[in-house]
Amino acid sequence: MRTDDLIADLSDRLEPVRYGALTRMLVLAVVVGVIGSTVLMLSALGLRHDFARAIVSFGMWTKLIYTFAIAALGFWLVQRAGRPGADMARPARILLLPVLVMALLALAQLTTPGADMRDLVLGHSSRVCALLVILTALPTLAATFWALKRMAPTRLTLAGVGAGLFAGAAGAFVYSFHCTEGSAPFIGIWYSLGIALTAAVGGFLGRNLLRW
Amino acid sequence: MIAQEAQYRDWMLDALMGDSAAYRMLLSGLTRHLRSYYARRLDPAAAEDAVQETLIAIHTRRASYDPALPFTAWVYGIARYKLIDEYRRHKRRATVPLDEAAELFGRDEAEETIARRDVTKLLEKLPPAKRQLVKDIKLDGVSVAEAAKRTGMSQSSVKVTVHRALKSLAEDLRDGEDRNADR
Repeated sequence: MRTDDLIADLSDRLEPVRYGALTRMLVLAVVVGVIGSTVLMLSALGLRHDFARAIVSFGMWTKLIYTFAIAALGFWLVQRAGRPGADMARPARILLLPVLVMALLALAQLTTPGADMRDLVLGHSSRVCALLVILTALPTLAATFWALKRMAPTRLTLAGVGAGLFAGAAGAFVYSFHCTEGSAPFIGIWYSLGIALTAAVGGFLGRNLLRW
Repeated sequence: MIAQEAQYRDWMLDALMGDSAAYRMLLSGLTRHLRSYYARRLDPAAAEDAVQETLIAIHTRRASYDPALPFTAWVYGIARYKLIDEYRRHKRRATVPLDEAAELFGRDEAEETIARRDVTKLLEKLPPAKRQLVKDIKLDGVSVAEAAKRTGMSQSSVKVTVHRALKSLAEDLRDGEDRNADR
């Protein structure tokens, strides 16, 4: 086909695009993904037994705020990764902020007189925490990939890392309704590890799966 | 800032609202940039294919343009992606600059500026009187008769002076290239 004919053809077939159509699709996909992660968590792991009491605890809110902040920045990254020419440096830099705050809080708890360091860091589920975060994140990761592929990612590994970061943080948010840990060192280490590993998985898969 | 940004962005915003005349002008304009971009990086047949693939990508992914961001950077992002795609298909590894919309737009202007700068630098090697003559006659298009009148030289010695000056510059250039080749 001649290029001129192609241009004529494309402009004849032009349909208007509704403003924000792409963002709506992404939000929808993400909502479906998080619902999937929640169903998976509830059926495979179950809500923590002392949920009613825990929901007002400091530890629970540490987990929720930390994972929510990272998920929000991850969503911002995904939103930009799907738009050619959009700069991803700013959300990536701001990501340091929640991590830094978490590190300071962990340090404060560890240096409190009489603190049981071993218990604060390892809790009773440190061996499974990161793995369960990744598993809980999988439905969200799949949904985010599905949406991102329909956008226009041009740096696939980076886009995959963004999607993994978002899904990992959303998965950790959901997982925190099962997990009974609440110490800042535990969350700072094991939750962060689960999120980082999901981001790594996303980057690894993105290279091939996000091609369009 | 890319010179064509404002015009192309306007066309794109109209196109997103369904204005196919604006869209046609936009695609035709972009085609010129895409042709020269791919022609410098791919063989001719692959280059025209890449142009068409990029136009189709622009079309199918047009919703991914965010009006708050520069349009030329968006197009460059897609063009670069399609180039990498093409390299990957032929198992070629290459690095492609990330944030250089100027790679796609207004490259000709940039090359012209570089060429002009090189000529100016080269001319500086000549003694001032000769430099003025070469500049007048070869760059600014002054006639030999006019130059002769200005300098008080005869027309034939103006011609000879310019000829010799160019010859010595050419030798300089050749020496320079040999030195580079030796390195």
